[in-house]
Amino acid sequence: MAMQQTILEPAKGQPDAGMNLVARSFFAFRRSAKAMRLFLAIAGPGIIVMVADNDAGGITTYTMTGAQYKFHLLWFLILLGPVAYYVQEMTVRLGAVTKRGHAEAIFASFGRFWGWFSLLDLVLTDWLTMITEFIGMTAAMSIFHIPPIVTILVVWIIMGSMIMSGRYWTWEKVTLVFCVVNLIYIPAAFMVHPSVREVLYGSFVPYLPPRPPVGGPSNGLFFMLMANIGTTIAPWMLFFQQSSVVDKGLKEKDIKFGKIDTFIGAILTVVVAVVLIIVCGELLYGKNVNDAAEAARSIMPQSRFIGTIFAIGLFDAGLLGAVCISLASSWAFGEVFGWAHSLNHKIKEAPWFYAYFFFTLLLAGTVVMIPGAPLVLITLFVQVIATSLLPAALVFLIILLNDKKTMGKYVNTRWQNIANITIVVAVIVTSTLYAISTIFDPNFLK
Amino acid sequence: MNSIIKSLMRQVREINRKYAVPEITTTPLVRFCLIGLRIYLLFLVVLLIVSFIIAARR
Repeated sequence: MAMQQTILEPAKGQPDAGMNLVARSFFAFRRSAKAMRLFLAIAGPGIIVMVADNDAGGITTYTMTGAQYKFHLLWFLILLGPVAYYVQEMTVRLGAVTKRGHAEAIFASFGRFWGWFSLLDLVLTDWLTMITEFIGMTAAMSIFHIPPIVTILVVWIIMGSMIMSGRYWTWEKVTLVFCVVNLIYIPAAFMVHPSVREVLYGSFVPYLPPRPPVGGPSNGLFFMLMANIGTTIAPWMLFFQQSSVVDKGLKEKDIKFGKIDTFIGAILTVVVAVVLIIVCGELLYGKNVNDAAEAARSIMPQSRFIGTIFAIGLFDAGLLGAVCISLASSWAFGEVFGWAHSLNHKIKEAPWFYAYFFFTLLLAGTVVMIPGAPLVLITLFVQVIATSLLPAALVFLIILLNDKKTMGKYVNTRWQNIANITIVVAVIVTSTLYAISTIFDPNFLK
Repeated sequence: MNSIIKSLMRQVREINRKYAVPEITTTPLVRFCLIGLRIYLLFLVVLLIVSFIIAARR
């Protein structure tokens, strides 16, 4: 029996020092394989929220960043990776420990006034962001001469089908497939043959772009910095990931893998942002490009393949963003109003949850059909507005994660508090600089 | 329609009752800072909206 134990499995609590190299390697492999299977089961919320973060508004922002500043702001995008990780991993801990979504956590911890404030904040920014997703998707498909109304109807059908399976896992796996499609931009960065020296310099040497004709520390630069922050960390992401962690049923013992999931997602979001800036910086630098669809059209004559990649990626980004944002709102309302609010419920079991989901889709899609609406401006300003409101959401999150009574051993460490408070201060400073540059802009109020 | 609105209002009142007492006790200074931050951020948003309207008109 003892010999059998040695061959098949080390006895619990016993060191495996007595085993030969082959046996030790075998057990190490089994442990790793088991850990990998567990991780794959738990992974999802972090990767989805981070990749969906590169939504239609994000693609537009990166496009314009590359077109206006070439590779000069790559370092800033790379910095935003760890920023996004530190912020989002807090929601993993909070969701796994409290088993409450973010909206419910704010109501319970801070009372009804702040609860309603945060919820209405979320509804407004989510609705505006949803509009930008539909703007992106219709613009992308118009490149292939598909009318906006057809795109909107198809999107409604796709999104409806994704969530109506009545199983969170089904929805998650389908969404992860769309996340993989979002990585379609990566080959394009190699195909444009950028200067490696310039890319590396822009990535690792932090500096503000030079003075005119590129801009310098101007209103335009601060606007672009804020738009990039807003597309990397948005209030809806806090609500989405925490509710997703709860709906998935993650426990405290899953937090470690939830953090790895979020970390991988942060890397992917930065990778996509960087490759987009490289592609647009190389192909569109100095050109007057106002949105991602226009960028795709401008790229088509140079490379039909890259232009097509761009358009498909833009549509996918919009779809991912729309799915996640509408779910973030639906979960939030469900938590607060006490409706059944899980993707594991079918429509009959959670009618208000699904009704709200479809309502946001219909409303956002309809606005896009309004003729003459300044759609590009809306896309960029929504990112900036979301950035401006972000510090308030982050402050609540930090206070929640410092509540030792609720969080126990998962409370924020000193280092986590320093990192997150620095992020809050940096966002406020950037917003303030933008406000000052706006007020003192000679064209302001003309 | 009236019954839906009445039902929603009843739910809102219940939510307000349920969350009347916050679980986290914040000092007056913290509450003041939170309100101050919100007012400041809303001011920035208003500025953004004005700037957006000006840009849209151009």
